[in-house]
Amino acid sequence: MERTLVTWLGFSLSERLSFLIKSGVFLSICGATLFVALASSYPAVHDTLHNVRHALAVVPCH
Amino acid sequence: MSLKALAASAGFLFALLSGVVAGAEEFNIFLKTTPRIELLRPFADPATLSLLVTRADGRPVAQGKVAIVIDAPKPGNFMSTDFPLVEGSRLLELVLPLRRGRAEWKYLFPIRGTYRLSVNFVAADGQGTFKDFPISVLEKRQKWLWLGLFCAGLFLIGFIAGRIFTTPARGGMKAALLALSLAVVGSVDGHDPPSPTQAVSNPQSALEIDGAAVGMLTTLRWRPTDTPVVNRQLSLTIIHLEKRKTMFAVDRVAVASEFDLKFHYPDGAEYRVNAVAEAPGQAPVRAEQLVAVTGIEPAMMAQISALSFFLAVIALGLAAGRLSFRYRHRC
Repeated sequence: MERTLVTWLGFSLSERLSFLIKSGVFLSICGATLFVALASSYPAVHDTLHNVRHALAVVPCH
Repeated sequence: MSLKALAASAGFLFALLSGVVAGAEEFNIFLKTTPRIELLRPFADPATLSLLVTRADGRPVAQGKVAIVIDAPKPGNFMSTDFPLVEGSRLLELVLPLRRGRAEWKYLFPIRGTYRLSVNFVAADGQGTFKDFPISVLEKRQKWLWLGLFCAGLFLIGFIAGRIFTTPARGGMKAALLALSLAVVGSVDGHDPPSPTQAVSNPQSALEIDGAAVGMLTTLRWRPTDTPVVNRQLSLTIIHLEKRKTMFAVDRVAVASEFDLKFHYPDGAEYRVNAVAEAPGQAPVRAEQLVAVTGIEPAMMAQISALSFFLAVIALGLAAGRLSFRYRHRC
């Protein structure tokens, strides 16, 4: 996928910059996943993971 | 002023002060918890708290009452507990009469931290004393273990990702492994939907409970509706229905007319309040009421701090994975 993008855009990224971009995207996805799982108030998610939130000791719940 | 006059004035002042000190009787207040304070854990079993008020000579006071206030631990600097709305709030206010110098009640501490129990004793003749007791409640070890395992899992995910991102992608297998490791599986057990507050049985006495919400004290009042009885004894219990735990209880408290209590329900769930009034020569009078407590979402700031911590653990894993990959390829 990275090679495709490089071919398509016509420039190459340094390995360090590539790592930073990939890590940034990865952390964003992880942050969104954690937010939905541990902080969202959507009833289906909240009720399913209610005990998990309390079991972790530092995740606030109502 | 002559020396004689000065000595006489000093003597008079000394005698006056001695009289004042002798008139104000000293009281001592002792606290005992069962289990011991070191063994208390949040949302475990309710603790039995006993107060003993004695005179200076060690004898328990015959009559009097204690006004009791429990304040929750103050909020932490970064990490919150799982009940952030409880932190720094007032949890309990009640007045108990002393029986042979003692007052006793049960209370379930909802969060970890150092609580402050304030006791204001007033004797029958109006004299009294005041004392604060700090009560430190440690978190359950099991919760720290789960948190450690969760963080280890996040670190591992970051570590694998760090190794993958450091090398050019070589196919779908690693991405599939990464996606698999991202899947979070939680145990399934949530709240039951709360039902509106309702009196289940309330024939002879009345329980009045204001609208309850997390984050504030709720007034609970019991008053008899039958003929006034002097030696009435009231037992009152607040039970968390979902967790099946007693949150608060008093047993056989002498009540002349009515009994007031201010209680902070720590979470948005359903509670049952039971009251049993006993009087000599009469059948016990029971009252019961269900309380659906309105839950309030915690502040975003409290959630952000926990999420930031977890993201930092993943980022640490990313860096460790990258370093590990580069170190291995250098050697």
